[in-house]
Amino acid sequence: MEYELLKVIWWVLVGVLLIGFAVADGFDMGVGALLRIIGRTDNERRVLINTVAPHWDGNQVWLITAGGALFAAWPIVYAVSFSGFYIAMILTLAALWFRPVGFDYRSKLDNKKWRSNWDWGLTFGSAVPPVIFGVAFGNLLLGVPFQFDDILRIEYTGSFFALLNPFALLAGIISLLMIVTQGGTYLQMKTEKQLLARAEGISTLTGIAAAVLFMLAGVWLWLGLDGYVVTSQIATNETLSPVMKTVEVGEGAWLNNYSKYPWMIIAPVLGIAGLLGAGLLSFAKRGALAFVSNSLGIAGVIMTAGFSMFPFLMPSSSNPSMSLTMWDAVSSQNTLFIMFCVAMIFVPIVLGYTAWTYWVMRGRITEKHIEDNSNSLY
Amino acid sequence: MWYFAWILGVLLACSFGIINAMWLDLNGYEGEDE
Amino acid sequence: MSELVVELSRWQFALTAMYHFLFVPLTLGLVFILAIMESTYVMTGKEIYRDMTKFWGKLFGINFALGVTTGITMEFQFGTNWSYYSHYVGDIFGAPLAIEALMAFFLESTLVGMFFFSWDRLSKVKHLMVTWLMALGTNLSAMWILIANGWMQHPVGAEFNYETMRMELVDFGALIFNPVAQVKFVHTVSAGYVTAAMFVLAISSWYLLKKRDLPFARRSFAIAAAFGLLSSLSVIVLGDESGYELGDVQQVKLAAVEAEWETHEPPASFTVIGFPDQEAEVTNFALKIPGVMGLIATRSLDEEVTGLKDLKEIHRQRIINGIYAYTLLEKLRAGDLTVKPEFEKVKDDLGYGLLLTPYTEDITQATQEHIELATQNSIPQVAPLFWSFRIMVGIGFFMLILFAVAFYYNAKRTPEKPTWLLKTALYSLPLPWIACEAGWFVAEYGRQPWAVGELLPTHIAASNLAVSDLIVSMTVITVLYAVFIAVEVWLMQHFARKGPSTLKTGKYDLETGKSEA
Ligand code: HDD
Ligand code: HEM
Ligand code: HEM
Repeated sequence: MEYELLKVIWWVLVGVLLIGFAVADGFDMGVGALLRIIGRTDNERRVLINTVAPHWDGNQVWLITAGGALFAAWPIVYAVSFSGFYIAMILTLAALWFRPVGFDYRSKLDNKKWRSNWDWGLTFGSAVPPVIFGVAFGNLLLGVPFQFDDILRIEYTGSFFALLNPFALLAGIISLLMIVTQGGTYLQMKTEKQLLARAEGISTLTGIAAAVLFMLAGVWLWLGLDGYVVTSQIATNETLSPVMKTVEVGEGAWLNNYSKYPWMIIAPVLGIAGLLGAGLLSFAKRGALAFVSNSLGIAGVIMTAGFSMFPFLMPSSSNPSMSLTMWDAVSSQNTLFIMFCVAMIFVPIVLGYTAWTYWVMRGRITEKHIEDNSNSLY
Repeated sequence: MWYFAWILGVLLACSFGIINAMWLDLNGYEGEDE
Repeated sequence: MSELVVELSRWQFALTAMYHFLFVPLTLGLVFILAIMESTYVMTGKEIYRDMTKFWGKLFGINFALGVTTGITMEFQFGTNWSYYSHYVGDIFGAPLAIEALMAFFLESTLVGMFFFSWDRLSKVKHLMVTWLMALGTNLSAMWILIANGWMQHPVGAEFNYETMRMELVDFGALIFNPVAQVKFVHTVSAGYVTAAMFVLAISSWYLLKKRDLPFARRSFAIAAAFGLLSSLSVIVLGDESGYELGDVQQVKLAAVEAEWETHEPPASFTVIGFPDQEAEVTNFALKIPGVMGLIATRSLDEEVTGLKDLKEIHRQRIINGIYAYTLLEKLRAGDLTVKPEFEKVKDDLGYGLLLTPYTEDITQATQEHIELATQNSIPQVAPLFWSFRIMVGIGFFMLILFAVAFYYNAKRTPEKPTWLLKTALYSLPLPWIACEAGWFVAEYGRQPWAVGELLPTHIAASNLAVSDLIVSMTVITVLYAVFIAVEVWLMQHFARKGPSTLKTGKYDLETGKSEA
């Protein structure tokens, strides 16, 4: 296969993995974040936890796979972003640690204090990562202060607190709202009575808020942020390193792609419509549709970020010409091809047995179900 | 080919465990009534 | 980059990896013991085997949660702390990691949920299939990560590309069928099986000592004894195979493990015990068995095992060549393509040139003194390797005997009679973990100063972080990991003490009042 084509395929595939992560792990993170808000009694919380109990671990593998794929397909992006955002990454990890132990250990002892502590752990572990991922995306759009020396060692000059600028924080809030809506709409399919009603109420609010803030971010991107433009010819079919091109910073340049490729406008439209639809459908008590709508909205938002930056993956604010793009930050042709074959074989298999597990575990979880199986459930 | 040896080996060890369990159960343990 | 940052990054990696490996071996083995128990249940229809699967499954779950927790850290740590490493070898190393997630983690993690929650929703046979596939998933994950690790030990199938400044994959088959990866995989999973067998044997012995839930404990004991006997045999045979592989491809590690300073006339003798002295380059009070070493390392009586002093001389020469390779690389990167043929000839020594980075800013200007320092540090400290290896091997033989005796009494149907056996089994509980940690120490520390054997020194592989970054991360990791392990061990012993009564079936001794906790 042509190297150029493989580069494009992997750009799409990484996007698919990120969307898969946000849609699948997103709903159990959303449930975790809502745990203390929707679940007021111990039994109610157990209902919430058991709606995701059989699935959260499998869902989390989307994140791990996205990490692995980043490593394999764009090693230098993996290297620069994870070491650059060091403290933020460690914080994310620390939050993620609370989920496996939280889910598994919480209901193993019948002790109020114990359970309440783990509930806090689950809330922390589920709410913090989406915020940080959002903040990270916001910073990608702003440009990241890194450059390379003559043997491509990375020098990063930012700090953790510099990541917390207004635009990035807005992105973090949008991300959290999307994920919470994802959890809320999932709960609409899996719970009943008072829990169902609360989930509908919350998703209505968060869905609409996410859509509004997303539009606001779009306006900000257009009027208030500088974008990056490649100003030299890139030999897209060649083996490149990230220091072989020239790049300039231009006002509003992140919107250039939409005039160049008008079809890309689908992404922001899908984002707004999906998130808004999720809110409205929740209001109309159409839980399953709201879940689908929010999933599409999430896809739209992630695609918007990808399309706006294309072909950039990580613009460098210290030395724009050293920015990482999907043409020059990629693995060798051989690796991309092998990994493409592996993905073509295993992604369908994974989707197949994952679908089967949802089928086996179908149906709503009731409080009675929890009481009857108190010993074997989470 | 060690990968191949692994498949055979682990299946062998598991069968050994299963057969041992069933064989002991067949004749029962001292002082147990079914 | 400051020496301290590298030092702290190494500590952090070692800490998180060794911690991850406290949980991994139990998962790798216990999952097969569960499969054995459930298969027996499906074949005989006796409910006690289902209860066994569920009870040991509970303990499996408690362990699994921390395995996952600590695994997430590992997946991201290459990027956070070893960013030049990630760039330099990501083209090869990233692939098995990604495949591991797609092929193995998805399978085990999706099915582990089914294992726990679908007992009432699936038929007996379907649930058994779930258990077996989950077992396959866990072991496949070990396979892929060890292919990745095997490549770090013995990099094959890759070429250096001076334009992208990294190693690139040329032969995927060579990566998968790397002989080091293969023996590593079989030795490590066998170590996992032994660990789980020991775990079940020790806890069942405790019930037998307490005369509690005898039918349950005897059957668990029987399965553990049988599975453990075969696995401990295989861990020894395959460990020996690992040693043989070292003789081929990692001579420094082998010589260090054996504290062989000199190259002797073949066949080399095996040092059972002694006190290696790094400064003087001798091993004091060495107790030797003639000939055995040569047999282990070369499977022959007439091949040499090269000693550390001679290996260092080879390294010195390669470091000098490495300086030349580095000089040519700089020219190439500056656009002078005429030196390319010359570079191709010496590029295998480029990594040795990079060994100088801790000692000088500019490798091309290295002095005699720098070269001497790099040469002295081109081998790891011998004493810690020598001792950890002997601890592992000693435990291996001890456990083989223990399982053999346990199996003998189990076959005589009186496992509860010899209390000395039960007590020994109980107190041996920590041994497999000690052996596993010692084994990884040998494998990883023995690879130093290389992150990737002969290609990329550890020193240059680290991320360019601030010391304060590492202090923050180390603090977070140590504190939270300490809390987690305290909780985990407490829960483990809590459920293990209560035994099958925690299933609340109403049948077991603590519930019927036949016995006290
Ligand atoms: C896939 C790669 C890989 C795998 C599977 C492992 N390691 Fe490793 N290990 C590394 C890759 C690595 C590394 C990134 O290359 C380190 C960091 C610094 C270094 O020299 O190697 C390392 C260092 C390192 C050290 C410190 C050596 C030193 O700094 O002197 C120890 C003790 C271990 N590891 C132990 C382990 C354990 C217990 C593992 C089992 C889970 C393990 N390693 C798996
Ligand atoms: C440094 C390299 C390693 C990385 C990056 C790594 C990564 C991971 C990750 C991300 C998980 C969680 C998966 C989930 O969510 O289910 C995990 C779990 C696991 N890892 Fe590792 N791991 C490493 C070393 C090892 C080694 C050396 C082995 C085996 C020999 C191993 C075997 C396992 C197994 C069996 C599990 C699943 C079961 C459990 O969590 O207890 N890992 N690992
Ligand atoms: C008497 C028997 C044993 C011998 C001869 C032996 C030999 C070895 C050798 C030579 C290595 C280093 C491989 C390398 O660096 O590439 C190793 C590693 C290791 N050993 Fe053992 N070993 C024995 C018993 C055990 C036991 C009983 C356990 C645990 C229950 C164990 C667990 C490990 C582990 C986890 C590693 C690291 C993974 C690897 O490199 O394969 N070993 N062993």
